[in-house]
Amino acid sequence: MRRAGAYVVAAHTARGGRSGVRRPQKIAIAVVAGLFLYLSIYTWNLRTGHLDALSSYTGLDISGFILRPGLWVSDQVVGFWERYIYLVALKQRNDDLHEEADRLRRENMLMSARARSAGRLESLLGFRAPEQWNFSGARVIAQRMGPAGVLATLTVDRGSASGVRPDMPVVMPEGVVGRVLETGATTASVLLLTDANSRIAVIGDENRSPGMLSGQGYGQPLILRFVNLNALIDSGELLLSSGLSGLYPKGLPVARVTKVQRSDISLFLTVEAEPLVDVAGVEEVLLLDRAVGAGPEEGRDAPVDGEAKDRVSGE
Amino acid sequence: MYPGSNVTAILWWGAYTLIGVWAQRFVPGVDFLAPGIVLSMQEQGGARTVWLAVIWVLLLEGMGNLPFGYGVAWYGLLAVFYIMGRWLFEARSLLFVCLLGIGLGVLHPLLIYFLASLGNLAVPMETSLVEGALQAATFPVIWLAADKLFPKGLRQDAKPL
Repeated sequence: MRRAGAYVVAAHTARGGRSGVRRPQKIAIAVVAGLFLYLSIYTWNLRTGHLDALSSYTGLDISGFILRPGLWVSDQVVGFWERYIYLVALKQRNDDLHEEADRLRRENMLMSARARSAGRLESLLGFRAPEQWNFSGARVIAQRMGPAGVLATLTVDRGSASGVRPDMPVVMPEGVVGRVLETGATTASVLLLTDANSRIAVIGDENRSPGMLSGQGYGQPLILRFVNLNALIDSGELLLSSGLSGLYPKGLPVARVTKVQRSDISLFLTVEAEPLVDVAGVEEVLLLDRAVGAGPEEGRDAPVDGEAKDRVSGE
Repeated sequence: MYPGSNVTAILWWGAYTLIGVWAQRFVPGVDFLAPGIVLSMQEQGGARTVWLAVIWVLLLEGMGNLPFGYGVAWYGLLAVFYIMGRWLFEARSLLFVCLLGIGLGVLHPLLIYFLASLGNLAVPMETSLVEGALQAATFPVIWLAADKLFPKGLRQDAKPL
């Protein structure tokens, strides 16, 4: 009897032992299966962009809907204040603007003559006509938002419903701001030129030395890469978009060179630049769109919606 | 659950989401919605938490600019931390919530590093570390505020078993 009882206890202990081993195994299997599922979905989305599109057309748009009423109220209050409280400063401001407009008219007269002359020369030499671009305004409703907003971006109040597409250049009168990263129906996010994943093909305004301008984060200087050691480039020189990437039109002011250093160990000059636009204080921007009939440059395909996140660093 | 509780819940969680999104506009990198997930699990759990998580994942992913995956891992691991932590701690204790905040604070830069590496993106890690510290510090404060303001009619612990 005692022997039989001992067997029962032994069997029970063995069962208990086995179930004790099984539990960590089950947890391990669940962890591996969860990780596998997660990475599968992640990879599938990287390839297709379906989930990115879903989140853009839901989350990004919903955040836009949430922010817009508050911004509208804020605008009304600020507008009221500026219209009525600062009315006394309007006369002075009006005089300044008149003066500036006169100066710009004079400059424009000279520029127009030169532009007409350049057009005539280009047609004489058989150059292909440059692409035409349309400008349209958009309002900044937020800078980067949320814990997953790790790239330096802006959110603007226009989306695919009003013709905004990924990779459209975003500018201000002072210079380039960045390009559209992704779009919702009524909202879009813009990758700033100060972000480390931004690349813009540029050329020096005076010495015409080409290079690739990339950001290092807000407050950090921009870096001009791949400028040959024997290339001519001066501190203070304006950098213009070269148009080689096919995303930006040629000739947009992008940045100003602040430092040129010759390295003993590199084949390229170390060149730093500063953006012409203070991206932290941007309130309105201009979106550039190719005019109808003006396709992208030869050899490059038009950007496809949903691929922008894959091509963040791929200009 | 009394008849008006669904309407109250929708209104309360709607207002919480609205405030959370505005807060995220002013303090980038910090998730003000995550304490809501914990509060919802403490008070209701089940389908309502899942709905909130789905909506907030879409919001986080839409507002963010990493390839899709951060929000799922973020809230998924928060739920795992919470469920595992309940084995050792009282779920509603402030100490436990502080530990959850620290967990999220550590998780944020790790997830950013992991997803940025997978997506081949250059991301400044110093910023993520600061944001992680901010997340750890703000998490219990937001949870406390939300818990204080949570409608009595929606509380599960105030009702008879």
